[in-house]
Amino acid sequence: MLSIKETYKASSENEALELLEKYGEQAKIIAGGTDIVIDLRNNKINPDVMIDISSIDEMRYIREKDGYVHLGAATTFTDVAYSPLLDENLNGFKKSARLVGSPLIRNRGTVGGNICHGSPAADIVPPLLALDAVVTIKSNRNTREEKLEDIFLGKGHVDLKPCEILTDIKFKKPIDNQLLGFSKLGFRNALAISRICISVYLDVDEDLIIKDIRVASGALGVNGMRERLVEDSVRGIKLNKDTVNLAAQKMVESVEDRLSGRSSLEYKGKAVRSLFIEAMKSAIGKTLS
Amino acid sequence: MKTIKLNINDKDYSVEIDGSMKLVELLRDRLNLMGTKIGCGEGECGACTVIMDGETVASCLVLAFQADGSKIVTIEGVGGDTGDHPIQKAFIEKGAVQCGFCTPGMILSAKVLLDKISDPTEEEIREAISGNICRCTGYEKIVAAIQLAAHKINKGEDRYE
Repeated sequence: MLSIKETYKASSENEALELLEKYGEQAKIIAGGTDIVIDLRNNKINPDVMIDISSIDEMRYIREKDGYVHLGAATTFTDVAYSPLLDENLNGFKKSARLVGSPLIRNRGTVGGNICHGSPAADIVPPLLALDAVVTIKSNRNTREEKLEDIFLGKGHVDLKPCEILTDIKFKKPIDNQLLGFSKLGFRNALAISRICISVYLDVDEDLIIKDIRVASGALGVNGMRERLVEDSVRGIKLNKDTVNLAAQKMVESVEDRLSGRSSLEYKGKAVRSLFIEAMKSAIGKTLS
Repeated sequence: MKTIKLNINDKDYSVEIDGSMKLVELLRDRLNLMGTKIGCGEGECGACTVIMDGETVASCLVLAFQADGSKIVTIEGVGGDTGDHPIQKAFIEKGAVQCGFCTPGMILSAKVLLDKISDPTEEEIREAISGNICRCTGYEKIVAAIQLAAHKINKGEDRYE
């Protein structure tokens, strides 16, 4: 590991922003450290200054305001997995947090870190994309809101300037028949990096017509991404077994297109069908089974 | 170099660290607390498990400066002068230790579990130790030992401070 010259354990969001303003590109933000300490170890990054935000209480929260659920960037996976505020409409979100790494990782790893590290396999990203989440990004001079989907710029890259911190994630709280599902394929039950993960948000009326659907995948592209061809194929029609199979077929076709020529295609192309169906089942379990 | 203050096993420390130092290196190399092991160095094996502010963490993924002001429990802080902790006794009684490398982490993960849930299900036990890899025992005796410890603590047959 390389030499870090200065370290700061920030006690407030403002303090962290001021430090970032001062040090800019020389500095790196660290929260749970579950990705970034490995990057340091592998010499992938070489910052002079580290600014810790993991102890900033005002950045660690799950709360509801005006119909939106807000998450602080320093909220851990354990916080999400056991939050009483995230009810059964959000089971898919809790499930994604519960399946990350192990208790040791979930106790430290944060929602903000999972997003900002920019990994294609970030487990918490597909559910947040399916929930159409919006993030708040702050610098010492400016605050901006962006759709989560718009900040991903490729593997390991997110749209954050050196002086900026992602501080808040919000999404509209699903109610009634608005449901979120999640499924993950890893090589084992615990400590698994996603080979594929899929999240489905469904909004159905009492006649089971799909009013809206948002599908997002992880590890099937350079970042987590929305699967709009799948969504368009079944929006406005009645939810039943045929509909699920139709959408699953679209999912397979999309993945075959995207991964064309890659060695993982043969495996992922097949696996994605059942993963998608599992995500749908995980969403609709409550009302339809 | 900078100085951090932290409490380890109920003792206050003030230690000089450099910015790249990890918590596990601070514990082992500076403070000679060798019960915390280094296995994979990337948070997968759980040999470096310690309790930090009430939660288990992989101390190889925590930079030492991040632990400034925190309260740490290592395996040296469990049992000790007052006699073995019921979990430690149960590990011995059930033969849950073979090479022993994973044992400190296993016991600390089990301790946090039993501090929170006094009568855990087998599934809860297996989830609690899912970040602690054992290549000897096949886990069966470890799970049995944690069940036995929970039983003894609940029945008041074994006490601990």
